[in-house]
Amino acid sequence: MSQTILQLSEINKRFDGVLALQGASFSVFAGEVHGLMGENGAGKSTLAKIIAGTIAADGGRFFVDGSPVTINDPHDAQRLGISIIYQELDLFPHLTVAENLAIGNRQFKERKFVRLADLDRFAEPFLEQVGLTCGPRCAVRSLSMGGRQLVAIARSLSMRARIILMDEPTSALFDDSVERLFNLVGALKQQGVAIVYVSHKMDEVFRVCDRVTVMRDGETIGTRAIQEVSSAELIRMMIGKEWQARDCKPAISNDETVLSFSDLTTAKLRDVSFDLRKGEVLGIAGLLGSGRSEIGAALMGLDRWKKGQIILRGEPASIKSVKKAMEAGIRWLPEDRKLDGLMMQMSILENGTISDLRPLSWFGFVSRQRERRAAMALFGSLSLKFASTSLPVGTLSGGNQQKVLLSRCLLGNPDIVFLDDPTRGIDVGAKEDIYRIIEQLASQGKGILLVSSELPELLRCCDRILVMREGTVAAELDAGHTTQEEILTLATHAPAQVGGPA
Amino acid sequence: MKSAAAGSAASFWRRISAQNRDVLKSVGALAAICILAVLLSPTAANGSYIFLQLGNLTDILRQVSLVGIISLAMNFVILTGGIDLSVGSILALSTTVVALVLTKWQPGLSYSIEITLAVLAALAVSTASGALSGAVIAVFDVQPFVVTLAGMIGIRGLAKWLSSNANVDVGFGQDVASTFAAIFRGKAVTIGCYVALAIVFAVLLSRTIFGRYVRAVGDNERAALYAGLPIRQVKLWVYSLSGLLAGFAGVLYAAENHQGNPNAGVGYELDAIAAVVIGGTQLSGGKGTILGTIVGTLMIGVLTNMLRLNNVDSNVEMMVKGGIILLAVAVQKQGKHVR
Repeated sequence: MSQTILQLSEINKRFDGVLALQGASFSVFAGEVHGLMGENGAGKSTLAKIIAGTIAADGGRFFVDGSPVTINDPHDAQRLGISIIYQELDLFPHLTVAENLAIGNRQFKERKFVRLADLDRFAEPFLEQVGLTCGPRCAVRSLSMGGRQLVAIARSLSMRARIILMDEPTSALFDDSVERLFNLVGALKQQGVAIVYVSHKMDEVFRVCDRVTVMRDGETIGTRAIQEVSSAELIRMMIGKEWQARDCKPAISNDETVLSFSDLTTAKLRDVSFDLRKGEVLGIAGLLGSGRSEIGAALMGLDRWKKGQIILRGEPASIKSVKKAMEAGIRWLPEDRKLDGLMMQMSILENGTISDLRPLSWFGFVSRQRERRAAMALFGSLSLKFASTSLPVGTLSGGNQQKVLLSRCLLGNPDIVFLDDPTRGIDVGAKEDIYRIIEQLASQGKGILLVSSELPELLRCCDRILVMREGTVAAELDAGHTTQEEILTLATHAPAQVGGPA
Repeated sequence: MKSAAAGSAASFWRRISAQNRDVLKSVGALAAICILAVLLSPTAANGSYIFLQLGNLTDILRQVSLVGIISLAMNFVILTGGIDLSVGSILALSTTVVALVLTKWQPGLSYSIEITLAVLAALAVSTASGALSGAVIAVFDVQPFVVTLAGMIGIRGLAKWLSSNANVDVGFGQDVASTFAAIFRGKAVTIGCYVALAIVFAVLLSRTIFGRYVRAVGDNERAALYAGLPIRQVKLWVYSLSGLLAGFAGVLYAAENHQGNPNAGVGYELDAIAAVVIGGTQLSGGKGTILGTIVGTLMIGVLTNMLRLNNVDSNVEMMVKGGIILLAVAVQKQGKHVR
């Protein structure tokens, strides 16, 4: 039948000592759409970037058309007819469509001076092929996300790409653009182009892919033809072994509701409703971009509320800024600790106390003694390890940096804490510490919202779990009576073949 | 023997914090320049070094005082990740306002009240100019470089327009304007003001909530927003302080030169920025100390004095200054790589 156009074998990659890929192997046929699935952090994007030459592999072999090749940089990949379309399209927004196609493109023969007619002639056939009607001279910034996606595909085609990698291509698209994309993928397939389709959305994979390879923890678990596999089996492959430990589940001590969302709608959320009780850990599951972090942004007054309301301790609240949210007893641990959380050049101590300096000061003068005493008590209870609190926070390990941010959240003794993926990229020991802290906070009667990419973590720590999908609450589950399969099914919009025991 | 000494020096170097290390480094550089200045200094008739004479040393302090005062607040602005190009023009506006009020306004009040009012008027106008830049930067989120560049041009125009393009002379007689000049032109007054303001700003930066916020905003503005810090207020304040200190330097300038001069202070913004950068403050914000800025200011002052005592051409002087700025930044960069 089809002939193998690309084959990878035993690809390894380490980032800062962490294994991102471990013996990953897979092969792609000419004229097929090959899905690459896995949970967040399974290694899909890393593998795609290695194929495209954006990052170099530490070890492994590549074959194109059966003969061994090396791919060390994007130029190698381009020569071999491999092209990648990133999740966050790498176009130049201020250049025209034709310029975006021609720039850095080996197929476009440059002269000393640019002639617009040359550019038009070069771009037009490819624009026609993808069905982009705006013309070669319109600026990319004037196009919608769907239009930009088409430009990116036209760019790949204009490089004579025979293998196109698409990394989560629908994550930023609306429904009609998604339809157009699928049609185009089908047409390309007919022309013999191989497409590697990276996604974690189950319905899309079943819709467009011929075969699918599942990744987990940097390994390729297996490849299946789409007719011969069920979504349940794919989910089992993605999750791996069953998780048993669930020892940190706190008991709900009382029924008092401390926070409610009622039909809250923002630019990224639609009609989100839920209640959070005192002493409860409410988990929020969902894929990246599903609206799980946006609940935090709405709660902290960063995103404007279009509709609905937030009820705090029984009273409708108006939260228009982070300051207002903090005054209302809410604290937030942002998702990306380096970009959104830490001031890297400031000290460990200063990072821990920056949000709540007022009670530690006297007429605007910070009392160093009080500051130190308050921070040390917290640092101790979080088992933060440091040589000196006056060292820059950047000298700490990831887990300890996260504990500094947790101290910042807890210093003001909040009633409600929103933790956005607090254990991402930290070591096992620090994770255990953070689970212990969550348990303690709940037992103190605080309401905790816990976003996590790791389902076992949610099952272990939470009382209830909200599953978010496309900005809405897909389901609200009792953590004691659900499974990873059920959550992932709901989060990925898969047909409901697997149901947890009710 | 030698290696033992080197070893103990290295262990000492490791024990002190990164920030203190940077300060020690710049103090060391200042000491080196001072030693060089002594070695190169011409000698007086009695064989003593002219550089080390008390009169010469206080002259240096006086000469750097105006830029020194401006650079204190400039350090705050740069720590937030901003820049203020309008300070030279604000200084000119301040000289003009204080001189105009003193010479043109004859309310018949006592001298002390009239002088106080004139100085307050100049400071108020200057602070308002800074606050306006700050408000535009904070509220509309426009790049500080552009906003203060506009301020630099517009405020210079305002100063020239107010004075009809001419210097406003403050006389040498017994009238109120001359009395003002006599009070504020003293060496001790100028140096005293610089020292006092330096202490106030050092405390403000290292001991207050405001100082923390200034560094936090420059270090990571998004994190500062998410941590609930009043970013707009912080920005408004630093540019207002910058205007205030530029205005204060303008008052001293008017007294020292016996005139309100709408063309004064051209290039002072760059001298102040140079002092801040030589003092180890990062242009991207978040890192820097007042002590560093003072050391940076003194380095430029001592260097200028050394070259002038040796009758070096003033054009060569500028070339040397340019070299020193590059050297200072290169040394700071190198320190980073070692870490």
